[in-house]
Amino acid sequence: MLTFIQMEFLKLKRSKIFLLSLMGAILPPLLMFIAATSFNETQSFEALFANVNMYMSAMFAVLIFAIIISYLFGREYNEHTLKTMLTIPISREKFLVSKYIMFLVWIVILTVVTTFSTLIFGFIAGLEGFSLKLFIDSFAELLLANVLLFLTFSPFVFVSLFVTNMVPAMVGGAALSLINLMVYGQNWAPFVPWVCPYLIASGEIAEYSADIMVSYGMILATFMIGLAVSYIYFTKKDVVI
Amino acid sequence: MVEYIIETNNLSKIYYNNRVVDSVNMHVEKGKIYGLLGKNGAGKTTTMRMLLNLAYPSSGEIYLFGKNSKKYSKEIYSNIGSIIETPGFYENLTAYENLKIISKLRKDFYPQNIDLVLEMVNLENAKSKKFRDFSLGMKQRLGIAAAIMHSPELLILDEPINGLDPFGIKEIRKLLKRLSHEYGITILISSHILSEIENIADVIGIMDNGVLIEEIPKKDLYNRLNKFVEFEVSDVDSAIGILKKLGLKENKDFSYREEGKINLYTNLELRDKFNALFVKSGNDVKKVNLCEENLEDFFTRFVSNN
Repeated sequence: MLTFIQMEFLKLKRSKIFLLSLMGAILPPLLMFIAATSFNETQSFEALFANVNMYMSAMFAVLIFAIIISYLFGREYNEHTLKTMLTIPISREKFLVSKYIMFLVWIVILTVVTTFSTLIFGFIAGLEGFSLKLFIDSFAELLLANVLLFLTFSPFVFVSLFVTNMVPAMVGGAALSLINLMVYGQNWAPFVPWVCPYLIASGEIAEYSADIMVSYGMILATFMIGLAVSYIYFTKKDVVI
Repeated sequence: MVEYIIETNNLSKIYYNNRVVDSVNMHVEKGKIYGLLGKNGAGKTTTMRMLLNLAYPSSGEIYLFGKNSKKYSKEIYSNIGSIIETPGFYENLTAYENLKIISKLRKDFYPQNIDLVLEMVNLENAKSKKFRDFSLGMKQRLGIAAAIMHSPELLILDEPINGLDPFGIKEIRKLLKRLSHEYGITILISSHILSEIENIADVIGIMDNGVLIEEIPKKDLYNRLNKFVEFEVSDVDSAIGILKKLGLKENKDFSYREEGKINLYTNLELRDKFNALFVKSGNDVKKVNLCEENLEDFFTRFVSNN
């Protein structure tokens, strides 16, 4: 599996999407930095990390992840490489699993980039209240939110296999970002799988009447349904050339 | 006993009630070049996709290297090299990087091996060039390099000369013949270009409308070319009318050719009598030639008769 991941990284060489995703990961810290320096909105590291984590995991990440997943799967169809890969031979199950793992690794990289760029922007803005514990806690919070969000993206794998261009993913990602924005603060937010990760990771879930296990259940159910549908579709369907 | 590297048993594929491959029984002998010939849409690519496990058969069985392809898939497919239609590579990577990915995933990565195959297909100078900058012919040659890189025992090549210039076609043909005759690699190659298949194949499988009509060894092919009589007459309709009155059927016993020419395929020994009848009816017979049909005509007739 390690070779698979290494080769997935090689496939990303000179890839604009990878650079764009890194830029996307830096965008929330950059916007918060601008807000802190121009509008004096954020005065401490704690507030900066909290805002970045919220905007990232509840809004930006949803859109970025949708694009990444669509690229990871869709390019194998669009560049006609799927038939090359499967005739190596690589089992369809192994191929699917390696893509899921690559997606997770990519998410972890973005999480690291977001957290470290937040730290750098915080120091440039001259914010106060930095501590190592705050940094680690903030990273752990964003990582948990992003990993949970990863689980909710398995239905997007199916969409990417079914419609291989990136437009549906971009539209879907943008729509989910808006949905997250709309439901955030509503009573039924813990039932929406794509907003649950942020609520769980930030601890805000405690403010809602629904039990945390309900949110975990929603995330797990979304993951299982998406995984099952994408697995069945990918392993049973002929490869379109 | 003949050893078949590919053998199919009533292999069929149905898409939305449309039988695109219909009970194909294919036999590809070890060490031979088998040319699958057919029009566009005859079912060649679908058959090859099923052989490569890219499409699932609706019914029938596939035996590769004498083993059921479903049961021994990993063992079997690591011994096959293939190109199906346009070769697929990552656009942002170089030729070398693309081949590296494939060989790493095959667990047989040796840089010198990649250099060797690139040299074999005359791409040694394009090693560091990005795939997106390749011409169609270069892409096709890189596809062949990827297919032979792991020294497979079987090559399945779907229209591998598409996009190649005449020089490239000659090179690839030479390479494939060398692989077959010197290294004993079995090759299944498809094309809709008759001359290409005729040039390269030891056995020709003729496919039309999803049906594998016949598998003909090339050495037997020339014995099956029809002899025919070509009449050149002033009034074609009148001549056709006479032949029909005598019970001959158009497109079977005879066919109308352009510019007042009629080809007679049966009853050749009666050509003098037919000539006399044409003349008697006032038709001016300019030529009566005894000819042998070319391969193109043979296949056209063969497919339409079947």
